[in-house]
Amino acid sequence: MKRITIFLLAVFFAVGLPMTAQESTQKADEKKKADSYGRTPDRYVPFGKFTKPYKQFFLDPLEYHGYGRQIPEPEQVESVKIGFLGPIEPTVSVATGGLSHEESLGRKMLQGAKLAIEQANVRGGYRDRKIPYQLVVRNDNGLWGASGNEIIHLAYKDNVWAILGTIDGANSHIAIRVALKVEISMMNTGDTDPTFTETAIPWVFRVITDDRQMCYLLADFVFKKLKLTRVAALRANNRYGRMSIDEFRDAATRSGHPFLVELNYPVGDTDFTSQLQRIKSLNPEVVITYGNAAESALILKQMRAMGMNQWFIGSDRMVSPEFIKNAGENIGKVAAGYPYNPESGDPRYLEFKRLFKKRFGETPETYAAHAYDGMCMLIKAIEKGGLNRARIRDELAKMKHYDGVTGKKEFDPVFNNISPAALAVLENSRWVFYSQEEALK
Amino acid sequence: MKQLLIWFFFLTFFAFGDQGGGPYVYTEWETFYVKDGLPNDHIFSIEADGDRLWVGTEGGLALYEKGQWKSWREKDGLPWKVISDIEVSSKTGDVWLALFGGGLARFSGGRFDCFNQFNSGLVNDVVYGVALLGDMVWAATTAGVSSYNTVTGEWEIYTEKNAPMEEIWCYNADAADGKVYIAVWGGGILEWDQKTRRWNAHRDPDREMEIDLYRDDGLIHIITTSASYIDGVLWASTYFGLSRYDGRHWRGYMDHDSGLASNFINLSLGRSGVSCYNATDLGLAVLVDFESDTWVTYKKDKPTDKTWTAHIGVGNNSFVSVPTKLTLPNHFVICLDFQGKDLWIGTGHGLARGIGKGYYPGLKNNKKFLKGSRGRFFQKESPGRRRQK
Repeated sequence: MKRITIFLLAVFFAVGLPMTAQESTQKADEKKKADSYGRTPDRYVPFGKFTKPYKQFFLDPLEYHGYGRQIPEPEQVESVKIGFLGPIEPTVSVATGGLSHEESLGRKMLQGAKLAIEQANVRGGYRDRKIPYQLVVRNDNGLWGASGNEIIHLAYKDNVWAILGTIDGANSHIAIRVALKVEISMMNTGDTDPTFTETAIPWVFRVITDDRQMCYLLADFVFKKLKLTRVAALRANNRYGRMSIDEFRDAATRSGHPFLVELNYPVGDTDFTSQLQRIKSLNPEVVITYGNAAESALILKQMRAMGMNQWFIGSDRMVSPEFIKNAGENIGKVAAGYPYNPESGDPRYLEFKRLFKKRFGETPETYAAHAYDGMCMLIKAIEKGGLNRARIRDELAKMKHYDGVTGKKEFDPVFNNISPAALAVLENSRWVFYSQEEALK
Repeated sequence: MKQLLIWFFFLTFFAFGDQGGGPYVYTEWETFYVKDGLPNDHIFSIEADGDRLWVGTEGGLALYEKGQWKSWREKDGLPWKVISDIEVSSKTGDVWLALFGGGLARFSGGRFDCFNQFNSGLVNDVVYGVALLGDMVWAATTAGVSSYNTVTGEWEIYTEKNAPMEEIWCYNADAADGKVYIAVWGGGILEWDQKTRRWNAHRDPDREMEIDLYRDDGLIHIITTSASYIDGVLWASTYFGLSRYDGRHWRGYMDHDSGLASNFINLSLGRSGVSCYNATDLGLAVLVDFESDTWVTYKKDKPTDKTWTAHIGVGNNSFVSVPTKLTLPNHFVICLDFQGKDLWIGTGHGLARGIGKGYYPGLKNNKKFLKGSRGRFFQKESPGRRRQK
């Protein structure tokens, strides 16, 4: 009996203790998640090495306390209108650096949104009332904050129930400020600016993984995996270039490896010789860029021509056939953050790709796939919440997780998708995608 | 110790009551809706002009005068139905309207003149705020600031190209004492000195969106929603709390360390250098007296409550609750203004007037109370805190 007791105790300690330790670690992880914002690793927390801030924001779910829920659902509607705001017509734009350049992205976004609407109508439309969904499309690619005027139009004249958009950071911020006052949900599927959801607006949702997550992954890849320390930056001289590189810059500084230099260029520039000469003189191990595919490809091409064979890393906008086509033969070591794995074998994603190709005759890319997910979320919220803008918001706010074609989404208290980013590495003139774990192991 | 303080405050308040000793509390209220003559129940702006009151709504403009409502909609010549801000010129009597998506309008002589981004120097038609300084009209738009000289007809545009705007998304404007203050979403508070024609920027010193590093190091957050300048003191609201700047020292207020009902402040309006009224998404929070950190916060304690309750306290310690006759169905307060001793507030559903019968500013000048509050509350709330000069 004594031996049995000893044996049982031994089993208990052998099995029970590790489980307890594991549970303890799990609980610690959960607590850590609740205490930190944006899945920020301790090493990248602002002022984390020096002090605890007086107040940390964005840890509690944003709430809407207004009157909107009490507005009754209209009895007569011919269609359930959902707004689409994006850069679809070429024009000039002060907000985006003087020259419009995002139409190709906006049109993909529109395709994804359209497919989701069409599928909802095939299913029978809105609830059992069989009212068709209708996409109301507006261009935000104009001068002087055109997105604000367009949101006003969508909300007060078109009377849409929710809006999907947009890509440019400046336009997105303008749009959400208007949406806040109008009290209408804004689903973003294409703007990766981290500050977009750091505004305490309870009407804003984002389904695409942002530059905060992509920068953390790039920083870990450079500083932890590659163990490189000398980084120089050359980015677009617009809001996208300035804001999107921000988290990498901070991570570099907080890791003890501040940029050797941070230079910029005007959007549309083709000759980067002077900036690259200066960067070359500093002998960096890594050059990071944040900008569009066209300029990023030219920078890489000119770097290699100058004998600069360092790692070249950058934003998700590099991850495109256009980049590979224009970067030249001698590509070398290239990596970029990416919001999802477009080579995923998930059956839902494969089915989406098949249907998308059938509908539009081409393969979907990131803007189309995320717009599809965002529009599906909006439709789901409208189906549940009904034709009431505040209740639609409530349903979106309830979605802590969403299983979309671009993967499993996890939303933080400010309704931002904080799913881990993927790392895209250029191998044999082809982008190969690695999960966070694969990239850093 | 805390219980002693509570009892002290409780006894003091009831010992002096309306006779003084505590802050003034608005208990008598009137409410107004569409059924009373408003063009819409969603109230965006209020402007008191002597005995007259202008109200901007999501569905038109209204004027309350001598107990009667008059309203204007687009069919009456109003250029656009959504009015986000109103200012009345003390010099000309012109009424200036910030139209949310419709530009800037001047209502004068029974006629509306519209200035928009296609017929004037207005930088964008989404106008959030308007302020008047002398002959100048300042418009805070979603894509920068425009100023209009009503005498010469000249316009000037200020954006990131010629002003220290980290972002161009302007939210609110105020003007006084030769200065114009612009609350810039993502850009802090910009201060324009009319005499020197120079801008000065007040920003969040920690330059991080997700934290406030130190309580009193400067502006709480760079996303500002309004600025109010009075008695040489700047009050600045954000969606993260309230900031006060006396030209030398900053003071920050959040819902966990003050009487703010919420950090989400739509508008702050200084009644003096030591008193500020804050329209939050969870009620009206009034800093009645800066020195003693005394607050009166009006809100619905429960959604099912028929009336709002006023909570009186020091810092975030509420000591006394006073029932009021305010019956607005929702306490998401968007705008406010003072009319003499009265107080007007606009919400997402309805407008209300607090009747200031016997109103007195700050704390009633009762030496016994003031001695008590300064000596005890001051010490308890924040040892060594700076006193206002």
